[in-house]
Amino acid sequence: MKAKWWSVALTAAMVTGLMSGATIYASAEEPVTLKVFSNLPDRKNGQGLVEQMIIDEYMEENPNVTIEVEALDEEAYKTKFKAYAMEGMPDVVNIWGQPSFLDEVLEAGVLAELNEDDYADYKFIEGSLEGFKKDGKLYGLPRNTDVAVFYYNQKMFEDNGWSVPSTYDELLELGKTITEAGMTPVAMDGGDGWPMAVYLSDLLYKITGDYKETVANAVANGDFSDEAFAQATQLLKDAADAGLFQVGYDSQDYGTAMNLFTNGQAAMFYMGSWETSMALNEDIPEEIRTNIRVFTMPTVTDGAASATDIEAWNGGGYAVSASSEVKDEAIKFLNFMYQPDKLSKYGWENGVGMSAQDQTDYMTGEETELMKQIVEIVTNATSVSGTPVNDCGPSAFKTSIESEIQSVSNGTIDVDTFLGNIGTACK
Amino acid sequence: MKKMYSNKLVITSLVLPGLLLFVFAILAPICLSVYYSLTNYSGMGSWDMIGLENYKTLAHDEAFFTALRNSLFLAIGFICIQHPLAIIVAAILDKKGGRGESFFRCVYFIPNVISVAVIAYLWKFIYNPNFGLLNNILKLFGHKGNINWFSPQMAIWSVLVVLIWHGFGWGMLIYYSGIKNIDPTLYEAAAIDGANPRQTFLRVTLPLMKPVIQVNVTMAVISALKQMETVYLLTNGGPGNATQFTATYLYQQAFKAFKYGYGNAISVVFIIICLLATVVLNKIFEEREPKRRVQ
Repeated sequence: MKAKWWSVALTAAMVTGLMSGATIYASAEEPVTLKVFSNLPDRKNGQGLVEQMIIDEYMEENPNVTIEVEALDEEAYKTKFKAYAMEGMPDVVNIWGQPSFLDEVLEAGVLAELNEDDYADYKFIEGSLEGFKKDGKLYGLPRNTDVAVFYYNQKMFEDNGWSVPSTYDELLELGKTITEAGMTPVAMDGGDGWPMAVYLSDLLYKITGDYKETVANAVANGDFSDEAFAQATQLLKDAADAGLFQVGYDSQDYGTAMNLFTNGQAAMFYMGSWETSMALNEDIPEEIRTNIRVFTMPTVTDGAASATDIEAWNGGGYAVSASSEVKDEAIKFLNFMYQPDKLSKYGWENGVGMSAQDQTDYMTGEETELMKQIVEIVTNATSVSGTPVNDCGPSAFKTSIESEIQSVSNGTIDVDTFLGNIGTACK
Repeated sequence: MKKMYSNKLVITSLVLPGLLLFVFAILAPICLSVYYSLTNYSGMGSWDMIGLENYKTLAHDEAFFTALRNSLFLAIGFICIQHPLAIIVAAILDKKGGRGESFFRCVYFIPNVISVAVIAYLWKFIYNPNFGLLNNILKLFGHKGNINWFSPQMAIWSVLVVLIWHGFGWGMLIYYSGIKNIDPTLYEAAAIDGANPRQTFLRVTLPLMKPVIQVNVTMAVISALKQMETVYLLTNGGPGNATQFTATYLYQQAFKAFKYGYGNAISVVFIIICLLATVVLNKIFEEREPKRRVQ
């Protein structure tokens, strides 16, 4: 009897112990692993650093969450994105709110729908969410407001008595003067194709003052015979013929072009405003990084746009995978990233250019001159272009224009053939 | 033993692994490729059957023919430049012997053991017109100005040099092994007959190397047609389509332009071209049976 009593007592103790253990287990949050697929492989500078800071902060605040990052540069990223689309997407991904990327992705249904009402207080700039919508439904959030600019070395300009050009003809003249001085006028990442396509868009915007409808019609009909396209292409070709870009620009990549500028071999560098972090990058010699300034594309003869009508757009952003097994956590993380005091604030503090959210609260007055200039350009802008031409059509069009633009600029094909070929790619 | 080899179960078990490997690793992907080439699949979402539309487009695609022409140019470059050089160097190495033999054998093979990515970036820096090694060497000899080694006219030649340099060691090593396998008594006999080194090379070494040359040339042609990684990393097919090769163009269409169906049509044509090249090369090297004399 005594033995029975003991066994009952022990069993009760065991059951109680197990139950209390179960209670403790249930109260602790389940471990969750989030996979983030990023197009920012440099995690120690610029936008990649900002992204990593937020990831680290989220993991600190949510100890049960582990975030694994896979980061590839843009070309490799887009290729693998497609492979993931076939076999299952990571939970949080980078996307581009442009037809050339998003149309096919949304058609395949690989991105989760987001609730737009959740972001009412996130201070997104008016219209910045539009590129990430389809049929009125929101599928992603924009990260930046991108502006196409010429970075230039102010000290070099002053030392040589060069001045910032106010017209395109002046820019070409300045190019000749700089070449005569034995330097490269503009470092251009022509090997990738897209920066030259942005340059072409910039010129097109200066000519037309508004190219949205013209480009939309051209893409829809596969017909780029509008005179403005030929004029903009000819202006790009004129620049290449005049030696505005470095020798071999059409085969050199982003890093090589940027190094020419940051090493002081080139006087200017044509790129997006996301490179304003150059002013804070200690790998760049101080004499150069503290003297980097910007100007936008000068006006063109008989162009409809003024100097303050700028080539700017909301491009890259983030989305959540529709097939994510931890979709709620992924959306929670996405929303955490976009809290106004995260992506926007950290981005501003690290000089990575303008975010797609209102950043005025975070201006301290101690920003670099380069950042202040970018803010001034955006604030004073009388109009913005929207998506660059190469991103306004299907991927086949984007691939075609980014390859053919090298051929037309270096004279392998003429302007009419170029326009005909990119039109064919739309059909 | 003989009984075991006539057992059908044993035969099946020996043949099956190879057969399965062939079916699942080669035949099935080719069949899938043929299937997708008849669709308008973008690589994501749904697709429709469009018959031979992709092949019709391909027949009028200038960029594809540029890529094909570049691939054939590379194959000819391999056959006419890389392999004659490799045979000559292998023969010299064999004749010289001594310590230098193994040293130079290793030196020539080094490019083959370096990663393709490293090689591509190495040559990008060598060719860079603004700060590259090549232009700086030329400046030492008094050349003024920067030569653009990747201009539309020169890019294909620049790529050819890199690919010949990269694959040289491999070809040379195979030829070297072939030469080492030639019976030394034949050389002794030739020497006794009074043959000079040139005659020995042309009348003894080369004829006996025929099977090795056949294998090496076939492999070179196939590798020229398949060329992808080095070109992709070096020029990405540019500027324009100046260094576009069949494989890089296939990749561009399937994975960048989101034309997966079209990419598969290119791959099917590509497979046919590779098969044809192999058949033609085998025909060229075919041993002609000596005609029997009628008694």
